[in-house]
Amino acid sequence: MVSRRILGTMTFIAPLALLVVIWGIVVPVFQVNPQIFPSVPAVVQAGVNSILNGTLLMHVGASMGRVVLGTVLAVLVAVPLGILMGISKGVSDFLTPLLRFFSVLAGIAWIPIATLWFGYGFGAIVFVIFNGVFFIVVYNTLLGVSTIPMSLRNAAASLGAGRWALFTEVLLPGALPNIATGVRTGLGFAWRGLIAAEMIATNVGLGYMLFVARDFYQTEVIVFGMIVIGTLWLLIDRLLLAPFERATIERWGLVR
Amino acid sequence: MKTLSLQNLSKTYYDLYEGSHHTALHDISLDIPAGEFVSVVGPSGCGKSTILNMVAGFIPHSGGEILVGGQPVKGPGRDRGVVFQSFALFPWKTVLDNVGFGPKMRGVPKAERDEIAREYLAMAGLSHAADRYPNELSGGMQQRVGVVRALANKPDVLLMDEPFASVDAQTRMTLQDELSRIWEERRPTVLFITHDVPEAVFLANRVVVLSKGHVLADVPVPIERPRVWDKLVEDDAFKELSNKVLALVRSA
Repeated sequence: MVSRRILGTMTFIAPLALLVVIWGIVVPVFQVNPQIFPSVPAVVQAGVNSILNGTLLMHVGASMGRVVLGTVLAVLVAVPLGILMGISKGVSDFLTPLLRFFSVLAGIAWIPIATLWFGYGFGAIVFVIFNGVFFIVVYNTLLGVSTIPMSLRNAAASLGAGRWALFTEVLLPGALPNIATGVRTGLGFAWRGLIAAEMIATNVGLGYMLFVARDFYQTEVIVFGMIVIGTLWLLIDRLLLAPFERATIERWGLVR
Repeated sequence: MKTLSLQNLSKTYYDLYEGSHHTALHDISLDIPAGEFVSVVGPSGCGKSTILNMVAGFIPHSGGEILVGGQPVKGPGRDRGVVFQSFALFPWKTVLDNVGFGPKMRGVPKAERDEIAREYLAMAGLSHAADRYPNELSGGMQQRVGVVRALANKPDVLLMDEPFASVDAQTRMTLQDELSRIWEERRPTVLFITHDVPEAVFLANRVVVLSKGHVLADVPVPIERPRVWDKLVEDDAFKELSNKVLALVRSA
């Protein structure tokens, strides 16, 4: 089991490592202008510098704070709403067209108006994250509730569960695998939206770090930032979101 | 345990395709005295599961009355415990927490409801499975949990909807033996729906044969208890009665 996991990780990393090797050869061989694309040592140096002077931590901290807050708020609103839509056809029929419309806009289309409402910075970006996560979690929660067998709801009711107990004991845990999928997918979109929003509407964060480096032709900072953005997402997804999703689906799935 | 009484019960559906009302059940009257085990048999589509779903309060009835201990039924309630064909165990709860669910809904504290659940699990020989999750158990074990989960909530009436239809034949006979034993120990009032005639006869005090939405026959089962398959499988009285009921079902 353990060796299979290591093998899996190696298989995943190998193509990325190969890309770095090619990069390490191509840049010096063709004497690429550092204002077009940086060399491997320059990027490593930029990375070390940003770690030592604390700017990386500052940017990552700012970005992560926004992601966590935006996601938590979105999930807190989206899950009850999705469950309500799952048990009431009336609510679902009324809200579905609205959600359809606004889910198209989710993401950076909200930035102009969000900056007018919340000003540049934290609030506007959290709002963008919220939008990215919210709609997809609503849909997945709705889907999750609809996959709960009617017999489970009937069983709970005949054992004496009232409305609140039905929500906490059956609908919420029953929809959890789909909610996990929704959060994972939504965060994937929100992460992309975050970087875009940070380029426009703030003065700290990973997106801002990239954007400001451009003004000084610091391609090594830009590329380092891109590597951080990609790596951070892969770590969050592989170490946090995917295992959570898998754990819920494994326990629940076999029974369905 | 209380009586279950169905009085002139009927169910009509509105058929969307035909644009007319369709009668699934008409004028079903049936009295089950407290502590009696009644099986309802009939061919597919005769309305037997519809009866159970109405008694459980899962679907509304169109006419007549359902009384539990003289009180009319309105929606699902803990006075009527239900055992489902699909088991309907909560996959995210351990066996212990599944069985303790009813007591939990009554506000019984954790330690006390665990004790209740363990007592009932022991009754079905499931003590070792308390901390397992449903998907780790065989179908037969899952349905044992389903039965004790319903019983642990001390319902007035136990409703069983083809509970053993989705387990293999060997396990089914073991479960029937066990249910018979548990019924003799606790004497719950049981409404048992099945399409399996020998099962219906083996378990019940009376077998009701349903046909096209009405009661075709109500057959008493005077076979002495305790009943176990080892004895009954070659018993002439049992075989004769089973054949009689089977003939009624086939004529239905």
